[in-house]
Amino acid sequence: MININQAAWDLMVAHAEKTFPNECCGAMLGNIDGDAKSVTQAVAIENSYTGAQGARYELRPEDLLEADRKARAAGLDLIGIFHSHPDCDAYFSKTDLENSCPWYSFVVLSIKGGKFDHANSFLPNAEQTDAPKEELTWPKS
Amino acid sequence: MAKVLIPTPLRQFADKNDSVELTGATVAEVLGALTTQFPALKKQIFTDEGKLRSFVNVYLNDEDIRYIKKDASPVAPGDTLSIVPSIAGGR
Repeated sequence: MININQAAWDLMVAHAEKTFPNECCGAMLGNIDGDAKSVTQAVAIENSYTGAQGARYELRPEDLLEADRKARAAGLDLIGIFHSHPDCDAYFSKTDLENSCPWYSFVVLSIKGGKFDHANSFLPNAEQTDAPKEELTWPKS
Repeated sequence: MAKVLIPTPLRQFADKNDSVELTGATVAEVLGALTTQFPALKKQIFTDEGKLRSFVNVYLNDEDIRYIKKDASPVAPGDTLSIVPSIAGGR
């Protein structure tokens, strides 16, 4: 399961609402204790997709490398990626799956009419063929 | 010796190390030394054919090895190798 604290959650939602109607993306930093992941910091990362960003996002690897360095410097771990789905539900799409990585939790935020609606977290497999849901909790969830 | 930074989710395959110091003159040699020391890491990073998985990028210090000499990129003592995934998506 993955739990996101208030400060990280506020940043994630604010970033997703600000970038609406485009998709946003970012990294989640925190700690892992067995199967329990705890996100204590979120990092907003620029969506680098060069086409229309209403239905696509792309993370530059160097931005992810920078997030990992930030995590290490703070004694934290890079444990997940988040992105938004503007005006649609928080599912893990075929595009999400085909461009995923099995190492991280993927949190999807549904933003409807510019406001947060709901969220889910997924764990894609190495073959990029399936991404089961994982339990996700956040303040007020 | 070069330092290889291990991403958090892969540390379980590397005796929980967050970084490892290894010897090698090229990226291929250093990554070979890494997977020799920690065989369970191999299938996380490489395909069965021995190529880097599609979502795996390797950075030599601040440079993507694809823009240097790929896995033949020379590694000097004190260099840092980072394993960074490619991630994208869309609704």
